[in-house]
Parts: sequence; structure tokens; C-alpha cells
Amino acid sequence: MQLVKQKNGNTNQADQSEDKQLMTHKFKKITPALAAASCSLLGAGDTLAKDETGTWNFDVAALLYAESDDRVQAAEPVFNATKTYDDGEILNFKVVFDTLTGASPNGATPSDQAQVFTQPSGKGSFTTATNERPIDDTFQDTRAAISANWSAPINRDWAYSTGAYGSKEYDYLSLGINGAVKRYLNQKNTELSVGLSFSADTLEPEGGHPLGLSEMPHKSSSAFDTEFAASREGSSDTKTIIDAVFGVTQVISRNTIMQFNYGISLSDGYLNDPFKILSVIDDTAGANFGGNLKNTAATAENIYLYEARPDSRMKHSFYWQTKYALNNGDVIDGSYRFMLDDWGINSHTLDFRYRWALGESYLEPHLRYYMQSEADFYKPFVSSTEYNAGAPTFKEASSDERLSEMDAITVGLKYGWKFADDQEVNMRVEYYLQSHTGDNGFGKLSQQDLYPDSQAVIFQIGYSF
Amino acid sequence: MNPHMNLANHTSPVLSGEVHNGTPSWIGTFQAMASDCQILIEGATKQHAHNLLTLATKEAWRIEQKYSRYRDDNIMTKINTPNGCDLEVDFETSALLNFAEQCYQLSDGLYDITIGTLRRVWNFDGSDQVPTSLQVQEVLQDVGWQRIQWASPRLILPQNMELDFGGFGKEYAVDKVTQILKMACRGLGEISLLVNFGGDLACSGPRLNGQAWKIAVESSKKEHAVAAYVQLSQGAIATSGDARRYLLKDNIRYSHILNPKTGQSVIDAPRAVSVAGSSCMQAGMISTLALLQGKNAESFLKAQDIQHWIQD
Repeated sequence: MQLVKQKNGNTNQADQSEDKQLMTHKFKKITPALAAASCSLLGAGDTLAKDETGTWNFDVAALLYAESDDRVQAAEPVFNATKTYDDGEILNFKVVFDTLTGASPNGATPSDQAQVFTQPSGKGSFTTATNERPIDDTFQDTRAAISANWSAPINRDWAYSTGAYGSKEYDYLSLGINGAVKRYLNQKNTELSVGLSFSADTLEPEGGHPLGLSEMPHKSSSAFDTEFAASREGSSDTKTIIDAVFGVTQVISRNTIMQFNYGISLSDGYLNDPFKILSVIDDTAGANFGGNLKNTAATAENIYLYEARPDSRMKHSFYWQTKYALNNGDVIDGSYRFMLDDWGINSHTLDFRYRWALGESYLEPHLRYYMQSEADFYKPFVSSTEYNAGAPTFKEASSDERLSEMDAITVGLKYGWKFADDQEVNMRVEYYLQSHTGDNGFGKLSQQDLYPDSQAVIFQIGYSF
Repeated sequence: MNPHMNLANHTSPVLSGEVHNGTPSWIGTFQAMASDCQILIEGATKQHAHNLLTLATKEAWRIEQKYSRYRDDNIMTKINTPNGCDLEVDFETSALLNFAEQCYQLSDGLYDITIGTLRRVWNFDGSDQVPTSLQVQEVLQDVGWQRIQWASPRLILPQNMELDFGGFGKEYAVDKVTQILKMACRGLGEISLLVNFGGDLACSGPRLNGQAWKIAVESSKKEHAVAAYVQLSQGAIATSGDARRYLLKDNIRYSHILNPKTGQSVIDAPRAVSVAGSSCMQAGMISTLALLQGKNAESFLKAQDIQHWIQD
């Protein structure tokens, strides 16, 4: 753009009108943009002061999670500590405690008869009333997890990170290590990364691991102890998970950053849920059509099978994220993930957040939509034909609702307030609604709601200093 | 005071004050960036006022020492070598470069911190030594933000180019000092502050009595004469002008404001422009850009929809 120069004050009418015209085009209002630029400069100074001293930064948060119908409730305090060194090295520790109480569906279908189930530990039994969804209320667990991560630059173009992780529950131990290498290109506008992680999990459920597709023994049986022992395949089992992630992060413009990841994950070993069973439903025409198939014992108990999943799972995921910063300080963050695995599940996740800057505080609405197809071996129940008098016509089956066709929506709002230079409190409330679809059964079973919606409310409060 | 911070051999800061209508008022003065610097503090105890003045002085001297082009031991020396540079700059410098880049873009190239080399031919000492256009053309080859490579934190400067943060260094210092003092005042009771570095100033808010600070704008024509009184109850005021830095030849007054596109001094701009803004950096940038518009300064300022005062 060229300035309109005039050597002296004597200009004719035409010149003046041209001058005016140019003027209206020329002088755009840059006051707000300059205010934002100086604001971000002075804000950057704050961060500098904070990081230069090499002090620790801490985050503490407490999360409360409550499912509808008094099902699972979780309280989760999180403690996070990060130290940034002058030369760009970052050390991070994170500790999480989970307390889960409540009840979880055991996978059996509701029935027009009361149902009696043996507890997974074999130590007792519980009864589910007619037309109620069978829920195992012995579910309670406390988990402690700790992780440490270290990241550091190698030189101007390379950086690495490495970490270790451990978590312990009453019946579950998980140990993991991870490492990643980053390469910067185009003056750090492009970042390539490769990450690998390995974890080894040990499961020791009380009462041992049920043998896949074996029948759940009933406490009413005089030979319960023998039958229970026969339904077990061991007291301890393991699984290993190897993950690899390849990522590209690209700075598109001053305001826009885009990330693309491809991840592959391979799980191997014991992948069953030892607490999940399947109902066997009578499909012979007659009075019990669609009712629970009963065994031949004198007490004529319902037949339930322990679930059996494949012993390996390979997942591929594709992830794309874009963050866009508006000139007024707001941030738009959108992402999409596509996942598919060799269990036949593929899923789509759309996530959208808008961070609305309000001076020292911000509001962040959050919207997330998730949908997945069902696993090849997902069965809400087993028919008596498939059960085939104890010689099932299939090798794998699970009625775990997490493997069914479903969609879920999350609506949330986060509020953060930076009340002092390096202190922030934030609160998050989210509502989660999950709905499933699938085979509605036949006969009496079709009167039951096999796919009730699940709802949950999450409340989190956090403090950073 | 840490003597190592005072590398420019400035005299120590001086604090004076009185209790006025029950409110203690303090004036701290010191020298930095070739300017008389003043910190007005209302409501603080003498000890607190002393501590605040020490903080302000330290920060001003730190910025001066770090970004002065007249030292040989700072980041500017590393950037402005005859052979150019290729280095990763620290966080603060990175933020300043980002700011400079935004100013370059917002002004369509009219504000450019690469005009450093033009100072070799333009020396605003009040004389009539106006450089020839050949001299200007020669150094203009080494001017132009688009010729440097900047992707935070890496800065690549070609041979012979020079950066100069002088265009907003003082305004930056005013904002930083105000910010630091406001933080330091937390928990010390109700304190009101005004930071004034040679006419570029910012306040923490209104005075303790609820009234605005009354600012006298010095006349650009007559030293110590007041051109206008301005009320300031929030934000900052910055002034750009050629009060004492200009060349005079054949009755043409060559201001020290240089157009990076032509390499020429702006000769048809108002003597001085003062702007009130949310920060001193913003106000300073608007007033500088107004002068760069030459005779169109007033139209430019009107378009900015911001409080301003023009002295012809």
C-alpha cells in the first residue's frame, strides 16, 4: 500500500475526492488487533517469569461420576505436578485414586421370572427381581495409578520423551513404559512424531478366571464346589498391549494448528471380562418361548454362560484435530477419530469445544458424539439352538453392552477462572447419554427392554497453582 | 539494589513523599532508556513504596540492558552481527518478535523493526545533515521484515540486516513495570500506581480518591510548556513526536520517524501525537503509525476510534 503524497497543500477537487476514497479503504481499524497483540505479549511475559524460575506447577482435581439408577459412582482425586527446566526439559508426575462403588450390569437379560446369580467370587448369590435388569452390586474397587514422564530436546530439530506407568487395583495390576521421538521440520512449523508404548497387565479376580462359555454354577447345587472349580481356568492371567502412534502436527497459519495421527494397538492374552455372563433363551415353541432355558437339576435353575472373547485384538485409529485461535482470544477445537478393529467394531468420534475468553475467566462448551458398530461376537443372549445342549455352535460370545451397536452424546460446560497470576480454578459439568440397539429377541424376551439408555453426570473441580 | 543490574551507571532511584489528606503519596524517580522515569504510588507504606520503586527500577534496567542497541553484551549483539544470525531466541524476545511481526502485518509493512540500518545514514541530532537519496537507497537494501525468517523460537537474519526494538522498547517497559508492580501490590492493601517513562505512561486504575490521574502533555514546540491536560483513570497514554529529535534543512523539518518503504523521514506529519489505549504498547504503536501516515495522520487516528491528541 502506498501513501498518498502531496508536495503542497494546493490540490484540485478531483485529487481530493480520490484522496478521500483511498482513505476510506486505507485506514482499517487496527486498534483491537493491536490491543490483543500487546496483551498476548505481556501475557507471554508472565509465563516466562513462571518458567524461568524452574518451579513446580501443580494441578489438583476431584472428579465425581454418577450413573443414573444408582449404578456406578466414582470419586477420583487427581494430583499432577510438572516441572519445566530452562532448557526445555519437562518432568511430570501424576497420581490418581479411583473409588468406584455401585453396580454394573452382569450381561444377563431381564426376565419375567426372578433370577438368581452366583457372585463372580463364588462366595454367595444374589437375586434380581422380575423384569429388572440384572445388576451385580458387589462391584467395588479402589485403584491407585502413578505415572512419570520426562521429555527433553535432543538438539534444535529433535526431541524425545519417555515415561513409566503403574496402576493397582484389588484384582488388577498394570505396568507400562513408553517412549517417543519428535522431529521438527520447516522451522518448527511441522512436527513428526513416533511413539511406542508397552503395557503388561495381570488380572487376579477373586474366585479365579471363569472358563469361557462354561456354565455358571448355582449355589443351590449340592455339587457347587466341584462345579465351580470345573468352571475355572486359573487364578491369574495376563495380557499385553503394544501401541504405536505416528503423528504429524502442522502449523497452518498464525491462528491454526492441525494434527493427524495414525495409531495401531495390539492386545494379546486374557481379554475377557470375568464378571460378564450370557443368558440362554429357550427358542422351542411353547409356554417358555423366549424365557430362560433351565438346566436338568432338581432345582431347575436358569442356564448362564461365562463370556468368551478372542485372545487378541488389533485396532487401527485415525485421528484429525484442528485448533483455531480467533483474534479475540477465543479458541475453537474440533476433532474426528475413526477406529476399526478385527473384532468387527468401527467407531466414529466427533468432538467440538469452543473456549470463550472472558477476561480473567473463560467458558468452554463441549459437544461430543460417538457411534460404533457391534462386535462380530456380540450376542445380547444365546438361543437354546446355539447353546446346543452344552456344545455351543460358536467359539466366542459376549453380551457386554460396550461391544454392542451404540451411540453416545456428551454435552458439557467448563468454567475456569484465573484469579491470580499463576492460579486457576476450574469446574466442569458433563452429561452423558448412551443408547444401544440390537436384536430384540423373541417370545417373552421381546417384552423386555434389552437396551436401556445409560446416563451419567460428571462433575469435576480443579485447581492449578 | 543489586549493583550488577545497574550496568548503564544510572544514579540510584530516589523516593520522596508526603501524607496528603490521610493518603500517603510517593514519587520515585530514576533514569532509564534515556528518559526521566517516575513511579507515583498512593496508599503504600514507605517501606512498600521503597520496595515497589526498587522492583520498577530493576525491571526497567533489565529491559534496557537486554534490548539496548548500544551495548555489546546482550541479545541484540547476537542478533545484529555483520554476518547475520541464525539462533533460537528466549521466550521474551520471541514474544517481542511476534508482536513486531503483527505490527508489520497490521500496518501493511509501514511499521518495520528492520529499519535498524537506516540509522547509519540518518542521525537526528538537530543538524542539517540530511542523507542523499543514494545513501538512503544503499542501506534500504538491508531493510524489510519479509527478508528475515522468523518462526518462533528460531530467528534467521541475513547479512547486514539489523533489528531495532527501540520503537516500542520504552512502551514495553512501561507495561511490564506496571504489570509487575500491580502483582507486587497484591495483599498490601489499596494502592494506586502511575508509571511514567518520559511521557509514555500507564496506571493501575483511578487514584485512591476515585478521580482520574491528571496528565500534562508537554508542548512539542516549547519545552516545559503544557499543551493539554488529559484525564487517565485506566490503561495508558503514549506520545510519539519529534520534540527534540529531528533534522532541519531548507526550512523542512525531518522527523525521526522513518518510512521503511522509502527509507525517508516523514516530513509532513504532525509534530506529536498522543494516544490513550488499553496498554502503552498499543497506544504507542497507534501514535507511531499515525505519524507514519504523514499528513493523513488525523484520518488514520479517526479511523482507529481511540482517544487521541494531535499537536501540529
